[in-house]
Amino acid sequence: MGSDTFTQLVDANYASLYRFALSLTRNQADACDLAQQTFFIWATKGQTLRDLSKAKSWLFTTLYREFLRGRRRGARATALDDLPPAEADPPAPAVDIIAAMDAQVVMSALQEVDEVFRVPLTLFYLEELSYQEIAEALDIPAGTVMSRLSRGKVQLRAILDRREKSARDNIVAFPSQQHRRTP
Amino acid sequence: MNNEQAKFILRAYRPGGRDAGDAAFCEALQQAQTDPVLGTWLAREQAFDTAVAAKLQAIFPPAGLREAILTGARMSTSARTRPAWRPATWMALAASLAVILTLAATYWFRGPGAAPAGLDQLAGFALADPLSAHIGPHADQLGELGAWLQNPVNRISSGAPVDLAQLKAQNCRGVSIAGHEVFEICFNRSGHWYHLYIARRSDFDAGTGQPRFREQGLQSVVAWADQRLAYVLMGAGKAETLRGIL
Repeated sequence: MGSDTFTQLVDANYASLYRFALSLTRNQADACDLAQQTFFIWATKGQTLRDLSKAKSWLFTTLYREFLRGRRRGARATALDDLPPAEADPPAPAVDIIAAMDAQVVMSALQEVDEVFRVPLTLFYLEELSYQEIAEALDIPAGTVMSRLSRGKVQLRAILDRREKSARDNIVAFPSQQHRRTP
Repeated sequence: MNNEQAKFILRAYRPGGRDAGDAAFCEALQQAQTDPVLGTWLAREQAFDTAVAAKLQAIFPPAGLREAILTGARMSTSARTRPAWRPATWMALAASLAVILTLAATYWFRGPGAAPAGLDQLAGFALADPLSAHIGPHADQLGELGAWLQNPVNRISSGAPVDLAQLKAQNCRGVSIAGHEVFEICFNRSGHWYHLYIARRSDFDAGTGQPRFREQGLQSVVAWADQRLAYVLMGAGKAETLRGIL
């Protein structure tokens, strides 16, 4: 692969890969490392990929595998069995409230979702891969992706709702001028 | 399909209609068009998904990440700058070792008195030698020849200032093909990486010496010879890419 093609591949995918990595690692520096490592692997091994139309899926799959490889075993994702059953249509902040939220707040809420749901959910919201491509990237059945998206959304809504309420509760009236003390 | 089943499926439906052509969603989408309750739910779901997706799009990578990726990838193709623990290095080394052992075994059974090897054999070795593996000094460290190879005005097949003794003294990577010494030089020209293998003409049967091209997967090689030396050039892409610098 020529350097021009490689540059195009980086330009088309590095931002989405970084966002995916950020949701996984919850840390900007680690996310940068992970994105960089993914392209490093592409530069050394990706040339063997015959169908370049699958490069995007390959990159997301590789990034996720690298994340799993680098993580300590002790920090495994919460087991599905430990999670409560999904609620049906839980409360969620209104769309205009989400729209008014800072992007970092929404990312932070997403990072709080259990990893087993967060991984497909982030890929879903990045809108780069279909649910079938997500299934291939994560090596799980398509039905499992749907199930995890459903439950992941439940968690995300609940977290966003909680954050929105918390932010509302923390709003305090600005003290008027006459009540301020001067040193 | 009841509404709960339809919701289960539609939660995986990306906003913006990207999945409109996916047959898996057809029935659930049709149901949402005819059932006002489900239709309202879908509109709300899509609005929520759109809002969250827009927020993710508003997260921008830190300044410098793109350049770090591009620079890192360029460095990854240089043995001088890639840490030895990187897995790709070991995989490349293992692949090279496997090829060398296979050829060494062939030589063992044939004995040292075998006739000169075919240049095709060297070309086959070059194709199996990973382009990303750069073992030994890079062209930058090989003096006049290295600079000559990297100069885009020079045609590789004419006038390369090759001195095999000097290459050996410079610790240029050497491999043994059917018992014959071959030097490999990794060089970059106009952003593209190449491997040039050089051996004594007397060690390899190069026929007329005219260039012969071969493509395999995403890589190509060209083999040729002059009166003194035999050469194989390997690079990524079609044979035309190699023809352009030959």
